[in-house]
Amino acid sequence: MSGAIRAPRRVLVLGADGFIGRRVLEALGGCDWAHPIAAGRRIAAQPAADGEAERIRLDATDEQALVKVLRNVDAVVNCVAGKAQTIIDNGHALFAAAENSGRPRIVHLSTMSVYGSATGVVDETSRLHGDLGAYCVAKLTAEYNALHYRRSVILRPGCVYGPGSPQWSGRIAGWLRAGRIGDLGIAGDGWSNLVHVDDVVQAVLRSLTREVEGEIFNLAQPSPPTWNEYFLRYGKALGCVPVQRISARKLKLETRLLAPPLKVAERLGRRFGLHDLPDAIPSSLLGLFRQEIRLDVRKASERLGMRWTPLKQGIEQTAAWYRTGEREARAIEGRIA
Amino acid sequence: MLDSTELGDRRDLSADVCIVGAGAAGISMALALADSGLEVLLLESGGLDTEADTQALYAGSVADPRMHSPPDRYRQRRFGGSTTIWGGRCMPFDAIDFEARDYLPHSGWPIGLDALLPYYPEANKLVEAGEYAYQAGNAFTRKLAPMMRGFTSEDFSADTLERFSCPTDFGRRYAHKLRAAQRVRVLLHANVTELHLGESGHMVEAATVRNLAGQHLRVSARWFVLASGGLEVARLLLASRSQDPRGIGNAHDVVGRYYMCHIAGTIGTLSFDGPDAQVWHGYDVADDGTYCRRRLALKADAQRRLGIGNFIARLHHPRITDPAHRTGILSLLFLARAFIPYEYGKRLHGEEGASFGTWMQHCRNVLMDAFGTAGFLWHWLRDRTLAERKFPSIIVHPRVPRYSLDFHAEQEPNPESRVTLGEEVDALGMPRLVVDWRYTHGDVETVRRSLLLLARDIQHSGIGRFDYDPNSVEFEMTRYGAYGGHHIGTTRMGTDPRSSVVDADCRVHGVDNLYIASAAVFPTSSQANPTLTVVALALRLANHLKTQARRVVPLFPNEVQRSGPRPQGESPAPADTMRAVS
Repeated sequence: MSGAIRAPRRVLVLGADGFIGRRVLEALGGCDWAHPIAAGRRIAAQPAADGEAERIRLDATDEQALVKVLRNVDAVVNCVAGKAQTIIDNGHALFAAAENSGRPRIVHLSTMSVYGSATGVVDETSRLHGDLGAYCVAKLTAEYNALHYRRSVILRPGCVYGPGSPQWSGRIAGWLRAGRIGDLGIAGDGWSNLVHVDDVVQAVLRSLTREVEGEIFNLAQPSPPTWNEYFLRYGKALGCVPVQRISARKLKLETRLLAPPLKVAERLGRRFGLHDLPDAIPSSLLGLFRQEIRLDVRKASERLGMRWTPLKQGIEQTAAWYRTGEREARAIEGRIA
Repeated sequence: MLDSTELGDRRDLSADVCIVGAGAAGISMALALADSGLEVLLLESGGLDTEADTQALYAGSVADPRMHSPPDRYRQRRFGGSTTIWGGRCMPFDAIDFEARDYLPHSGWPIGLDALLPYYPEANKLVEAGEYAYQAGNAFTRKLAPMMRGFTSEDFSADTLERFSCPTDFGRRYAHKLRAAQRVRVLLHANVTELHLGESGHMVEAATVRNLAGQHLRVSARWFVLASGGLEVARLLLASRSQDPRGIGNAHDVVGRYYMCHIAGTIGTLSFDGPDAQVWHGYDVADDGTYCRRRLALKADAQRRLGIGNFIARLHHPRITDPAHRTGILSLLFLARAFIPYEYGKRLHGEEGASFGTWMQHCRNVLMDAFGTAGFLWHWLRDRTLAERKFPSIIVHPRVPRYSLDFHAEQEPNPESRVTLGEEVDALGMPRLVVDWRYTHGDVETVRRSLLLLARDIQHSGIGRFDYDPNSVEFEMTRYGAYGGHHIGTTRMGTDPRSSVVDADCRVHGVDNLYIASAAVFPTSSQANPTLTVVALALRLANHLKTQARRVVPLFPNEVQRSGPRPQGESPAPADTMRAVS
């Protein structure tokens, strides 16, 4: 492979207990050139064992702690997610620590949110907007740090779906099951910019092994479905049929009447250990469903040699995962009963 | 989105493509061209809502008011056009519809179904009729209850579907996309009253646009597309007579002729032996949420064998005006007919005067069937009034398995059935239309023979019988006159300018840059409702224009530089003097 780097390499995965971090860790575990190290705030320290990655407890917002760890790694995959302040603090700490340690390559997972309210086709040179709330600003700030670090590769995935995706697969499936979303008409005309989690992992691995330092890549289906199309296809794959047309009136009720109490219930639920409460559909999400922004992914296709997961395959796989989860949940409920 | 009344001193507009009419065809074309690099100007006569003075521009006269509704009915002169009131019934044309059939005079398209097949799925998406699947066998993965259990026929298929749009108002649904499209401008209150040919007579140089505020402007474009509906397209061509008193594209007196609607009516009584559950005449909901309905479609071989046009029939509730049906909701509809829009209420009136006794019987039906009526009203409120995808029509499941038969048939092209310009002019000085719709003996035969065959097949199947008076066929098929809203054939497609107006690309013969996107170009009418095919043809035309733009040869080099396609990323045409309409 042209530009391939000497193996094996010690690769630190920050946020390894999250959805994408876990998948990256698994994939690295299967690479003969990589020695993955899982790091996370809630991870219990554990040396590498047969088939298991080395695990360390690490606060990814603690610069001093990061400096110590980064001295002994060749590369970092930054999958840290969370609250806006966590993302900002992680951006400052990680790249500052990297400058003061071995200057490892850092694959930084950003997001399409950095394009803010932009519409039309956006490529990696398009203007960034921090106009969609705290998360968007936080991701922009973190990217700013990454951009100033010479050995970074920035990935800007769209909406990451696939087995295990809580946000764009699990939550959506629940809403489809409940008939709370479906064909949204005008409200679902935006491009979904879905990207399969396997494709994100593939992009991470290639960013670690190709001469792409200093580059930025959009990641999404090359011909993404609209949100309406996604909901229809996913709904059908889940067996939530007929997929309902959701009126503008019903969506207003969701976001204006239902969302506030559900949000409060969710917070209370977290405190009291209740996890099965229905998710609120925030109005910001409806904004995204309408937003006609389309990621141009030609650069990732060419430079990273991406082979994108066909949408049909991705949706079927995801629906199968969700149905299995439901069956298991029902079985557990049955045993408890 | 701009308004012609707010253009200030600006009196000239130009674009690469000027589309006249923002209905199903015009909006579909504008959307299809939005990313083409071409500057598109979409002219709409009306505003965002219905306006009485604008709607009055559609007024005209009809030769026989019993045979055709007034020209300002079933048409809407506003953004979205007649999709603001349509019923949403969709199905593609059949392959036989495109054939030249020796038994059907003036039939035959210069294109086949294969020319439209690449565009139908996208058209289906635009009209929001779900998946492009029009056979029950491939549209549904689950097994459907049979339409008529035990019915077997070599001549009729009970498997074909009609799918229903929401019904989608193209204006409301796609305005946001047009607003977002950098190279599409929509100009409201812009009535094209005349097209002007250049000196050569082979190019439209400009269009005169007027509004009811007395202002006018001139629009020039590289290509003009008339998408203003089957009647108005002919009117504009005929009224553009500055250079030629015959109008544009009318050297052989074809414009306005061959005017077709559909032949439709309700007839007879279908009685089934056995319980009601063996008959299903209602809607089936597809997995994508679309309402679908099966019908009895006369197969192509049977049409050829009998030498008749295309024909379909549906099981229908009994005639509403006759209180003998004893169904509360049907009687309520009769009693409330004054409050039902003309386009939907026409068939509630009939030509027979309702006596006091009839009214009383209808009232009795409502009272005696109060629970049934209340249940229906709840269903209607929930599934029609409040729903965004609306339950398409009234379905009443009778207490005994008796139905009437609703039919919808192809009308044969007839040069004597036509629209012309009258002496009267509208508020903009444009001559009003005179509609002289006619049917033929062949049309009667299409219905008569189809019904005969269906009655025979039902009887042979041993499932029941279809009783009707064969002598009443012509009366029933013309009881309410031409089927409203389907305006077909006035600028028909063909290869010979002596018998057609546009060529296979929908370009007006002899005029290099004038195209028509409308049911006006259909040489034959099929049994199918026209909107889906109108949209498919519009998408095909958009594709043709994109191809033309890529291979454009500069006729006037300076002109090409001004109006040729621009690469993505350049600024759109200046609109600084124009104020946007919210």
